Amino acid sequence: MVAYLKNVWAGFWTTLVGMSITAKYLLRRPVTVQYPDERLPIPDRYRGIHYLEQEKCIYCFQCARACPIDCIEMDALRVGKELDWKKFTLDYNKCMFCELCVYPCPKDCIHMGKEFAFVVYDRRELDLDLLSAKGLTPDAKERLAKAEAEKQAKAAAAKAAAPAGAAAPAPAEPPRPASPPAAPAP
Amino acid sequence: MRMLLDPLRSAAEAAAGAAAGAAAPQGNFVTDLLAKISPVEIPWPLLVLLGALLGSGFFLLLLFITPYAMLAIWAERKVAGHIQCRIGPNRVGPFGLLQSIADGLKLLVKEDTIPAGADKLLFVLAPALVLASAIAMFAAIPFAPALYFTDLNLGVFFILAVSSLATIGVLMAGWSSNNKWSLYGAMREAAAVISYEVPLGLALLVPVVVSGTFSLRGAALAQEGWGGAAWYLFRDPFVLPAFLLFYTAALAETKRAPFDLPEAESELVAGFHTEYSGMRFSFFFLEEYAAMFVVSAIGALYFLGGWSFPGLTPLVEHLFGRGWIFNAVAVGVFSAKALFLVFVMMWLRWTLPRIRIDQVMTLGYKYLTPLALGCLLGAAGWELYVVPLFGGGR
Repeated sequence: MVAYLKNVWAGFWTTLVGMSITAKYLLRRPVTVQYPDERLPIPDRYRGIHYLEQEKCIYCFQCARACPIDCIEMDALRVGKELDWKKFTLDYNKCMFCELCVYPCPKDCIHMGKEFAFVVYDRRELDLDLLSAKGLTPDAKERLAKAEAEKQAKAAAAKAAAPAGAAAPAPAEPPRPASPPAAPAP
Repeated sequence: MRMLLDPLRSAAEAAAGAAAGAAAPQGNFVTDLLAKISPVEIPWPLLVLLGALLGSGFFLLLLFITPYAMLAIWAERKVAGHIQCRIGPNRVGPFGLLQSIADGLKLLVKEDTIPAGADKLLFVLAPALVLASAIAMFAAIPFAPALYFTDLNLGVFFILAVSSLATIGVLMAGWSSNNKWSLYGAMREAAAVISYEVPLGLALLVPVVVSGTFSLRGAALAQEGWGGAAWYLFRDPFVLPAFLLFYTAALAETKRAPFDLPEAESELVAGFHTEYSGMRFSFFFLEEYAAMFVVSAIGALYFLGGWSFPGLTPLVEHLFGRGWIFNAVAVGVFSAKALFLVFVMMWLRWTLPRIRIDQVMTLGYKYLTPLALGCLLGAAGWELYVVPLFGGGR
């Protein structure tokens, strides 16, 4: 009888103890991070999707050679000193985020990024192109356009100077030969 | 006040009277209104039918049960979330308050499937029966001294009897689903209800013995007073244990954790409502929350003093008399008590693990039933021999 009543009391008491514990949790601040809206800070050495600084890349293939599973492919044409990029793809079907492509880069232009969520509908879409701009980079385009404009301006100046020189008795100095032409655009 | 309340009461009296097998009512405010505004004369059987439909179940469902159930489901999810250090629903509306409405809409437009090999008639009838019992239970609950649907002189037994109808619905659902999990769930429900009706009824007899009436309204009226000392909970040493026993048995009756064996999702998929989808499923859901409120309301009315609150309700009565202000305050106090008990049910659900079916039986037969019997005997003895010592008694 005593054991029976003790058992009843134990059941009642332990329920109260459990309820006090859950009540403590009930009043505690939730630990939830509202994921798409807010994110936990990602450590600096996190290895997420690669980040490529296209302007610095010199198309040297060091990263592609270092890759143990050959998931980096690149293609570009040289336009004078600039690079006309066709592709720089990294196949994330294969990539194992070993970071081996980052170390050999002589220009320090490929990095491991912090983005980790790259859900796609088709696995072919995982063959990501890391280029920010296909063809020439905006910078290179600007530089080439500038060079072209200078060339045009000089040619025009030379053209304008030639008839003037014929009329004038003595030109101050002969027109310079035109600068060597830039490599033709492909 | 009377104009506002009488229609409600007469409508519910019509419903409850019909449910209790009383004589057919003369008519209610809906029938009167329809007869008045209708340009053509409506034949009286149709009138009575319309009145019964609009005036009782529909009205109650629309006005109270559905909003309450939506709020309770939201609250349950919030409580669950915060107990687990999560947030809970917070996307739809402020604090996720509209989550239940969104879920309800989703359930409304969901496909209504009936499994192959199911007993179609029973399968379709089961949720209706369950919901009907949930609505009928509300008929006998007084919300305030003047705001009650009907004051049955066997109110508690009416509620217990009607709530058992839901068990038949659950059994029908489990049997007709043609699914072993559903059948297991239904059999567990039947076993649990048969075992726990006994301690539930015995524990409820304690306040009945104290108050001398089966009417919930009568018991609540008897507990009014300034200090709250008139609450039956503090009346004698046998009522408090009786309240705890009642609450435990009520948990089992309403299929709440830790007695949620009929729908034990880790073992039985979803138990008796595994095969239900869409609106039929939501009927079961609605019934669960309605039953939670009803048992909590009985607890509040019979043990926790009904609508009286120390210092508050007597003050209101003193200042304004027993008019509509008093009734409004009474509804608030009573709802707060009942909803607090509902909250404790949620709290318990996220505290205790589910117990095995043999443990459920052990608890019911070896602990709750004898203890409830002891409480009943003690309370009866107290009323017979101790109360007269202090000059009380009838």
